Amino acid sequence: MSVSILSDAERKRIEGKRRRGKAFVAVTAVPVVLALLLVATLFFDVITDTVSWQIVEPSQTTASWSFSEGFAWGNTWENVVTKELEARGEDPAAVLNNPEERRRFKLRNRVELLWSLNGQPLRYVVSNSRDDTVDNIGVFEGFNNQEALLANLRDGQELRLNPWLDFAFLSKNASRSPLMAGIGFAFIGSLWVIGLVILFSLPIGVGAAIYLEEYAPDNRFTRFIELNIRNLAGVPSIVYGILGLYAFVRLFNFEVTVISAALTLSLLILPVVIIASREAIKAVPPSLREASYGLGASKWQTVSRVVLPNAVAGITTGMILAVARAIGETAPLLVVGAAGFIPRAPSGPLSEYTVMPIQIYAWVGENDPEFANVASAGIVVLLTVLLVLFGAAFYLRRRFERSW
Amino acid sequence: MQPTPKQAAEAIGINKSISRNVGDQLIRLVLFLAASVSVVTTIAVVYSLSAETISFFLDPAVSLWEFLTDRRWTPLFGESQRYFGISPLIIGTLNVTFVALVVGIPLGLGSAIYLSEFATARTRRTIMPLLEILAGIPTVVLGYFALFFVTPILRDIIPGLNLFNPISAGLVMGFMILPTISSISVDSMQAVPRAIREAAYGLGASRVEVVLKVVVPAALSGIVASFILAMSRAIGETMIVALAAGAKPTFTFDLRETIATMTSFIVQAAKGDQPAGSIGSRALYAVGSTLFLLTLMLNIASNQIVRRYAERYE
Amino acid sequence: MSQTVPENHVTVRTDPVAQEDALVAIDHLSLWYDQFQALRDVSLTVPKNQVTALIGASGCGKSTLLRSINRMNDLVPSVRVEGKIHYEGAELYDASVDAVEVRRRIGMVFQKPNPFPKTVYENVAFGPRLHGYKGNMDELVEKSLKGAALWDEVQDKLNQSGLGLSGGQQQRLCIARAMATEPDVILMDEPTSALDPIATDRIEQLIHEIKKDFTVIIVTHNMQQAGRVSDRTAFMHLGVLIEEGPTDQIFTNPQHEMTENYISGRFG
Ligand SMILES: Nc1ncnc2c1ncn2[C@@H]1O[C@H](COP(=O)(O)OP(=O)(O)OP(=O)(O)O)[C@@H](O)[C@H]1O
Ligand SMILES: [Mg+2]
Repeated sequence: MSVSILSDAERKRIEGKRRRGKAFVAVTAVPVVLALLLVATLFFDVITDTVSWQIVEPSQTTASWSFSEGFAWGNTWENVVTKELEARGEDPAAVLNNPEERRRFKLRNRVELLWSLNGQPLRYVVSNSRDDTVDNIGVFEGFNNQEALLANLRDGQELRLNPWLDFAFLSKNASRSPLMAGIGFAFIGSLWVIGLVILFSLPIGVGAAIYLEEYAPDNRFTRFIELNIRNLAGVPSIVYGILGLYAFVRLFNFEVTVISAALTLSLLILPVVIIASREAIKAVPPSLREASYGLGASKWQTVSRVVLPNAVAGITTGMILAVARAIGETAPLLVVGAAGFIPRAPSGPLSEYTVMPIQIYAWVGENDPEFANVASAGIVVLLTVLLVLFGAAFYLRRRFERSW
Repeated sequence: MQPTPKQAAEAIGINKSISRNVGDQLIRLVLFLAASVSVVTTIAVVYSLSAETISFFLDPAVSLWEFLTDRRWTPLFGESQRYFGISPLIIGTLNVTFVALVVGIPLGLGSAIYLSEFATARTRRTIMPLLEILAGIPTVVLGYFALFFVTPILRDIIPGLNLFNPISAGLVMGFMILPTISSISVDSMQAVPRAIREAAYGLGASRVEVVLKVVVPAALSGIVASFILAMSRAIGETMIVALAAGAKPTFTFDLRETIATMTSFIVQAAKGDQPAGSIGSRALYAVGSTLFLLTLMLNIASNQIVRRYAERYE
Repeated sequence: MSQTVPENHVTVRTDPVAQEDALVAIDHLSLWYDQFQALRDVSLTVPKNQVTALIGASGCGKSTLLRSINRMNDLVPSVRVEGKIHYEGAELYDASVDAVEVRRRIGMVFQKPNPFPKTVYENVAFGPRLHGYKGNMDELVEKSLKGAALWDEVQDKLNQSGLGLSGGQQQRLCIARAMATEPDVILMDEPTSALDPIATDRIEQLIHEIKKDFTVIIVTHNMQQAGRVSDRTAFMHLGVLIEEGPTDQIFTNPQHEMTENYISGRFG
């Protein structure tokens, strides 16, 4: 029916316009798709990098060629080590029951889950730090050239598929040998640093937010504080590192310790914590404050019994996101002197430390290409921690999105 | 005798009590001190940067003129080969930032238009958190990705590309700044009043015309502010550059060359453990000051623009 | 509506309240929000254990006057007050007086029900807890809820959120919450304007019942409501108290022309 109203040319014009409109919408959707694709590719790449093919030769000094045997899936660590030591012709009890011997054994040997193409498909293997890696090959490359690789193996060599990220990785620590390297100390270091960061930045950040939202008079100094916070939020993180180097490392003489890292990162995330807490406090409806004042509550009673309990979900969400940022920060800690290799696990505010991103950075900088695999295993651990935090933040946000 | 007002108030117990008064003042003071930490931080940043920067320029080996005009930057070298011209670092920073903006601005703006104007509320609610995840990926991870994934691919495509180069770093950085541009631009487009859109629809404009001729122009200041903020982020970004673009100060506009940025120099100098008070350590602060001033100016500009547009629709 | 009030208007008072019946006496009170004068030299005596209604057109300063009585206006930074409010021999705006203590004795119920997002029980117990109530809290909560005619409806919902109640129940919860701190005066700012007629009716009955224990000052836009619940009525216009007196007098025989116009619905 509408045919009669529109001329042919008119209809074509409208058609074309509609088509161009659709194309435009599609074009604007492309960046979103690209961004999501990038995230997906990154995760995929990092995860696949945690597995590599290796051609390995047993170290000359170790008598037995232990992993040609392997140990079945489901064995305990003690079990595997006992059998391994028996195979090497050593006395398992002597090693395992003597703390010093045990420590030394752990330092040099790693029990890992491996696929080896000339053995059972999945089993535990005890590797020795002196075993020699002849070649390290990416997952896909290895899959494609499997036949050739197998054909070219020399006597005593083995082709294995090594998942770098296993339980041993979580408990092992920095090492010159990629096989022995793990994220243990760095994980503990991150816990220490972040614990202190929360301790410093939560009370100060929330206190500042309460002051600005509930107490501050509308005067120049208040506006100056607000301006400061806005500008600090935009200062590059590395500049906080320079501040930390000048103030905490050198002036206060804390040197390269957990506490100088924690103070530096606390100042870094403070603006974020303040801004998020202010938003949360602002979202508490004024009518609740009035109700409280109307009942004869003082300002602090109103803040502590009405405002904060109703802002706590928002503050927590903001704090989680800020902490997530602090966990991944690398640059400022490099400037305040964090190193990738430390001899002992951090045990307090004044101990030497490393944290996960620093450890990853140190691994990326290593020459041995196997360290790239180690770094990716570290990245997967770091990203897992962050995803858990993001998940918690999003859950809280959804759960407590309240309309008054 | 008539009681004084104070006595009358005391008689019915509505007088001010000293203990409450002191308690209130104490709480207020504590909260005020918490808020003042940010001011102290700013002062500390400015002080630590400027104190060492001044010492840097007071050193007889350095002159401001050389700092501004020389095309060589080698402050960590031996005394005979030291040059203090910051321009290679500035140029290096600009190279990376340029690539990042070329990638980030169209992607950020496009995704903002899609999310604000075309996507359903549900799509938006799903995608925004994912973009936040992108924004939350630690930059050391992005650097790893640039170096081990992006660079090898680019080296297959672009002849003569160095292993460490600003293209790879900038490309990944473009994605890093995408959520910044996107979320601020979405906010400013959402702030455009319904009435204005409806007026345009009422005049027979199509959806695309409304977006391009009404919404984007009305939100332009917010969008521009997001670009500036993104630029400041790119300039201050460290790990992606340190890992993927290298640390070799070179005065070049060839994007295939290894360069150094201000941030990657700071990392390099800090890692080398320059003793406090040495010229190398002071050079670190001088570069830090330059970086701080540059990003501060950009942030102030961006804030100023955002504030102006926020006032307009109130 | 924009009838101007002569600068030297003297409040018309019918049957003034005797000195010995007074609980709150507002004495030449003026109030400014920055430059804007919202109250002009208002004097009003509020008798004990009676209901006083404040009526007048929107924006005439009823809420402002009400909120001056328990010093809620202190929370607005731009407010400046001149004049006095006498309360039980003390002067509320004297420098020695703590506004927080005043609000404990002069409670308030707001236009929109605003229960805390806590349980019914915790809502009522909030005030007593603040002030360190030492007695039996369960009994006090029950007594207050009964006083607000809400007990029967919520006695088995005490641990549910106050936000889960109906609008009218929420408002009675707010009244119970105000009653639990055992104030002398309860100020009500249009307490039924957000409620339906049945809920309104319940609250009006309630106001009748509580006046033996409390002095009530209520702001209302609803003439019938003022007529039903109040003993005395004060009519304001543009920040000036035009006329006050016993409610039946004001409604049947207003002395001032503006009052008559307002009551008969000719403006406002
Ligand atoms: N916080 C404030 N700042 C500035 N002016 C105010 C403020 N509160 C009220 N006013 C002004 O004071 C005057 C009296 O306001 P008030 O709220 O007391 O009126 P009202 O009689 O209660 O009106 P309504 O019946 O609409 O509630 C109005 O003109 C109002 O605009
Ligand atoms: Mg009012």
